[in-house]
Amino acid sequence: MSKRNLLLTLICIVLSFSFLSACGGGGSSSNTTEPPATTTEPPKDTKEAEAKSAEKTDEKPVELIWYMIGTPQKDTDKVFEELSKYTKEKINATVKMKLLDWGEYDQKMPVIAASGEPFDIAFTCSWAFNYVTNARKGAFLEIGKLLDEKGAGIKEVLHPAFLEGAKVDGKLYAIPTNKELPAQDVWRFNQKFVEKYNFDISSVKSLESLEPMLKTIKEKEKGIVPLGGDKNFKPLLPFDYVDESIPIALYADGRDTKLMNILETPETMQALETMHKYYKAGYVSKDLSTINSNDYSKTGKWFTDRANTAPLADNQWSASYGYKIVSTPANDPLVYNWSVTGSMNAISATSQNPEKAMEFLNLLNTDPYVRNMVGYGIENVHYKKIGDNRIELLPALTEGYTVPGFALGNVMITYLQKDDPENKWDEYKKFNESAKNAPLLGFNFDPTPVMNEMAALKNVKEEFYPPLMTGTVDPVVNLPKAIKKFKDAGIDKVRDEMQRQFDEWRAKQ
Amino acid sequence: MKATLRFIKDLNKNKAFLWMVLPGALWFLFFSYLPILGTVIAFKQYRFHKDGFLASIINSQWVGWKNFEFLFSTEDAYIITRNTILYNFIFIVSGLVCSVLMAIILSEIVNRKLAKWYQTGMFLPHFLSWIVVSYFAFSFLSADKGALNQLLGSFGVEPIAWYSETAYWPYILVLMNLWKTIGYTSVVYLAAIIGIDKSYYEAAMIDGANKWQQIRNITIPMIKPLMIILTLLAIGRIFYSDFGLFYQVPRNSGSLFSVTNVIDTYVYRGLKVSGEIGMSTAAGLYQSFIGFILVLTSNALVRKINKDQALF
Repeated sequence: MSKRNLLLTLICIVLSFSFLSACGGGGSSSNTTEPPATTTEPPKDTKEAEAKSAEKTDEKPVELIWYMIGTPQKDTDKVFEELSKYTKEKINATVKMKLLDWGEYDQKMPVIAASGEPFDIAFTCSWAFNYVTNARKGAFLEIGKLLDEKGAGIKEVLHPAFLEGAKVDGKLYAIPTNKELPAQDVWRFNQKFVEKYNFDISSVKSLESLEPMLKTIKEKEKGIVPLGGDKNFKPLLPFDYVDESIPIALYADGRDTKLMNILETPETMQALETMHKYYKAGYVSKDLSTINSNDYSKTGKWFTDRANTAPLADNQWSASYGYKIVSTPANDPLVYNWSVTGSMNAISATSQNPEKAMEFLNLLNTDPYVRNMVGYGIENVHYKKIGDNRIELLPALTEGYTVPGFALGNVMITYLQKDDPENKWDEYKKFNESAKNAPLLGFNFDPTPVMNEMAALKNVKEEFYPPLMTGTVDPVVNLPKAIKKFKDAGIDKVRDEMQRQFDEWRAKQ
Repeated sequence: MKATLRFIKDLNKNKAFLWMVLPGALWFLFFSYLPILGTVIAFKQYRFHKDGFLASIINSQWVGWKNFEFLFSTEDAYIITRNTILYNFIFIVSGLVCSVLMAIILSEIVNRKLAKWYQTGMFLPHFLSWIVVSYFAFSFLSADKGALNQLLGSFGVEPIAWYSETAYWPYILVLMNLWKTIGYTSVVYLAAIIGIDKSYYEAAMIDGANKWQQIRNITIPMIKPLMIILTLLAIGRIFYSDFGLFYQVPRNSGSLFSVTNVIDTYVYRGLKVSGEIGMSTAAGLYQSFIGFILVLTSNALVRKINKDQALF
């Protein structure tokens, strides 16, 4: 009997082991295609360039590793080999870009940083691989001095508000991308229906003003989503948040300096009641509070939704969806912390060659050759020139080198595409000049003293926000419940701490 | 000297087995024993250091039990602990009963080809990721276009907002879990049942025992040790929950938190933005420590009842 017992024990340990390994394997399996290791020796066809650079300096070229968000592309290595020929000559460094897919960037980068794996440059922002949090934890190099020494060009091209807004506790840890500075919300409309029913979209601004149009669409167009969105949908509220994940804010117009719980304001109650009315009337999808991502933009079966805009955004949307989109502003453009830090590149604290990394970032922001190759690939392979400063994209770009242009440094020195108007970048500059600053711009909250409360509050937020904000539940009943739960989780303590730090910061300004 | 010789002789004699154990042993060494040292992070406020991981650990500030506090700071502590334990308890019991039942049924099917067919069919869900499963479920449960609501509609029943009604979810989750795990565990039991010496059954038949009596008096007692071992192992993980099941399948729907929030999802939601490694390590340590104690206690209980069947 005992022998059999032993045998069974063995079997089951082996089995449970395979069970465990099956579980463990799932999580860690990565789908990043590791590019083949390149030797530090330069490729053969660049002997000339090598000879030139050898004349200038005897140093061995250094290799910079750059982590970037975006779906891995098959031509990345090809493009960066080509680029490295140029950068080797200019700054005696080669560059290698590693793309991590949209969904995994935010999960993998903190691990890469925490494990101390050496890399030189990484994309960071307010919505992935959080800039402020990781800067405080020491993931990035403080680059204020380095910028003065090696990045003079960057200071010239960037709007000063970018560098000011990117400071954490008065120190700079990353180079923001020169692009649209303020954030503005617009209502986007599917032009097909605007034309069909002869709607006047210029009269729209508030959520309430949409109602007659939504009603018409709901009644006359079956199968069309009147108001689109996903579970992150929020009615437009006039607030500037200290931390996007906690409902504590100031009025965006800066009318006072007392931080408040936005759930307790009459504006919130009114907006949620409107949403609930819309939900009951069927103007939004019944599944809105659990939809992770929307596909209506692909099918075209929608009427309106809300989006962040940039100059000439209508053209971009129309081009990428394949049908015409028009939009009208839903609020005024304001420069927020999160819009300034919406796209940046930081130098890692583990970088062995921070000076070279800064020199490369300088090139990326000032040298059109470098910037356009990083953004559009190799000339006559991925794009061809059809004018002095104007290009046409070739199919090879879609197949092998589609990278997120907004994340790769100064967009204002990139080529214009076929249908872009001549004054595209002037429009950007005008937009950037026009904006006012949001009241909390430049203030970064340090959550360390209230970490426990923050973790609890984030849970409460995920519990109540989607159903409330999408109008799925009745705010008259559920908003007080949410407020109570936020209070139990310590929102007042967090608010007081935020207020204390904010007052301190203000006194220094 | 003599001892060393004997040791080498032993090694040589068992080398086939030792080679077989080696990959597993290495796996455990690297992925289970080595990381134990990392539990020190649970007591530190982890900050990056430019000299790499070890330097980061050494230079991070010691904060004692502070990282554990967030687990117990709100009334959610009660809900997540209750959900985790109760769900896992039901999973263990229902899993045991159903998979033993299935294994017995499968072993009794005379047509071996059909039996294999059923077995493969039951095994299939084991290979599906919860994310894929969550979309299957959504196609049934979507409030707008879900198959279930369409069906209910054709009977004149009002559509149900499945993702905001808490009442149904304990059943849905238990069913989904069974559906996904039963194939795997029943194969384990099936293997044990097939291994039972046929002469027991022959002897029983000669004595006039019917099928039911054979199952009750031969099959079940023979696989009892396996049942005990697998259950003990499952109890060790009672404080862990299947993240995919509790996060993906309910589509992270806020209205369902009171019945779907478990320790793992709570930790994930609380720390996904701030990424405080110290706090998540603390949560993991807490879970494994409680699991460890539970395994020791239940093993001691088994030991008290029947010494032979205890795990250790």
